[in-house]
Amino acid sequence: MLNVPPWIEPIVMAFWSTFFLVWGPGRRGVMRNLKVIKPGSLAVANLFRCYRVFWNYAWTIADNVRFKELRTIPDWEFTGREYFEEMQTRQGAILLTAHMGSYDLGAHLFSETSTRRIVMVRAPEADPQTRAFEENHGAESLRIEFNTRATALALDLLETIREGGIVAIQGDRVTGSISSLPATLFGKPTTVPAGPFALALAARVPIYPVFVVRLGRRRYRLMTSRPIEITRSRNRDDDFAHAVEKWMAELERVIDECWFQWFTFEPYWPEQAP
Amino acid sequence: MMLNVAIDRPDARWLPSRHHFAVARLIGYILLGRTRPAVDRPGHLILSIDRDQTAVEMHLTAFWVFATTACYVAALLPFALPLSIILAIPLAAVAIHLPIVLGGPILRALTGDGNHIKIVSVITMVLLLIASSYVATTRTWARFVAWLFFAILLLNGVAAVILWLLRGSVKAAEERCVR
Repeated sequence: MLNVPPWIEPIVMAFWSTFFLVWGPGRRGVMRNLKVIKPGSLAVANLFRCYRVFWNYAWTIADNVRFKELRTIPDWEFTGREYFEEMQTRQGAILLTAHMGSYDLGAHLFSETSTRRIVMVRAPEADPQTRAFEENHGAESLRIEFNTRATALALDLLETIREGGIVAIQGDRVTGSISSLPATLFGKPTTVPAGPFALALAARVPIYPVFVVRLGRRRYRLMTSRPIEITRSRNRDDDFAHAVEKWMAELERVIDECWFQWFTFEPYWPEQAP
Repeated sequence: MMLNVAIDRPDARWLPSRHHFAVARLIGYILLGRTRPAVDRPGHLILSIDRDQTAVEMHLTAFWVFATTACYVAALLPFALPLSIILAIPLAAVAIHLPIVLGGPILRALTGDGNHIKIVSVITMVLLLIASSYVATTRTWARFVAWLFFAILLLNGVAAVILWLLRGSVKAAEERCVR
């Protein structure tokens, strides 16, 4: 990234995105997911769509590294700005997002423009060097937590929210042995992480669905949707089910619109697993 | 941390400072005054002011560099033209990587870690210039591509001179936009 002239960067991206197609498990995972998102689609069309997913993925990684190394930010557009502002004025909130666009870049944008402290929860980074890079290149008000120690982390996050901070979590897929809730996406059963919903219930704060979508070269849109309030009743399972249903409706709408940026390289629906 | 941005100014898209090459900067300057200066709803647009920001300019330049390199490679290959063009496409992509993958580590060894974009950029353009100078003197069909390369360089040079002459009004227009 620190050696590539920007005026030949599109060639470099196009070239290396092609190599992702050689990565069998990733290519098959994306194509299986596309089959569900676009029912009746042809395999050959999905191969080109798959290339587009990898092309977008390469650009978002490059934009993220460019920001961390050179502090170059992309252009930003906002939709649902009123909800975004509302989230920042509240005493604590949960920001629920998906593996789309550049969620890292979005989190950094919040931390640069917001007075609130942001804690971003991520799946554990396998490579220690990458993990150290992520931890050391964050903005001052942004803390990255890897979800490796569930109980202790839950208490830390609850404390962060009670202190008025914002906790950002990816809520589209379950990794490892974290607890999950049943859900339906594109008419097929799946599971989503239970953590954000349990945290919202415990901290009595709403969940704000936020998506960072790449519109083009160095151009992103930050989409904030109406908050999901979890109302307490006698039946906790029903409370969660209602909240999950609203979240899945938002997620489905955004994935349907921006399928080329949903960076899920494994078969998402359990029934699709080889 | 201060970020160099224009907030809620759609016309800032055309700021010459957001463009890299003189031709693009001049076009930006011309269009700057013709765009609506404010958004309908405030707080909805942040534009970064960085010379490599514009997608159209960068994609067009990348395409031009790639097409030029592919033509030179195709002209050098000893096969029939259709086959040469097919082979030239991946070979050109590899050739364009050479200054990055060879120059990058050498620069790193000489100057240490850091941002080498500018020097790799200069090396790449000098290599293209050398290749174009050679191809322009040959009798192959690719000499027309090389002439086009020099014509575009000349055009960019003329645009740079015009921008230099207009530097005062360009600066004033930029300041009006981002103040």
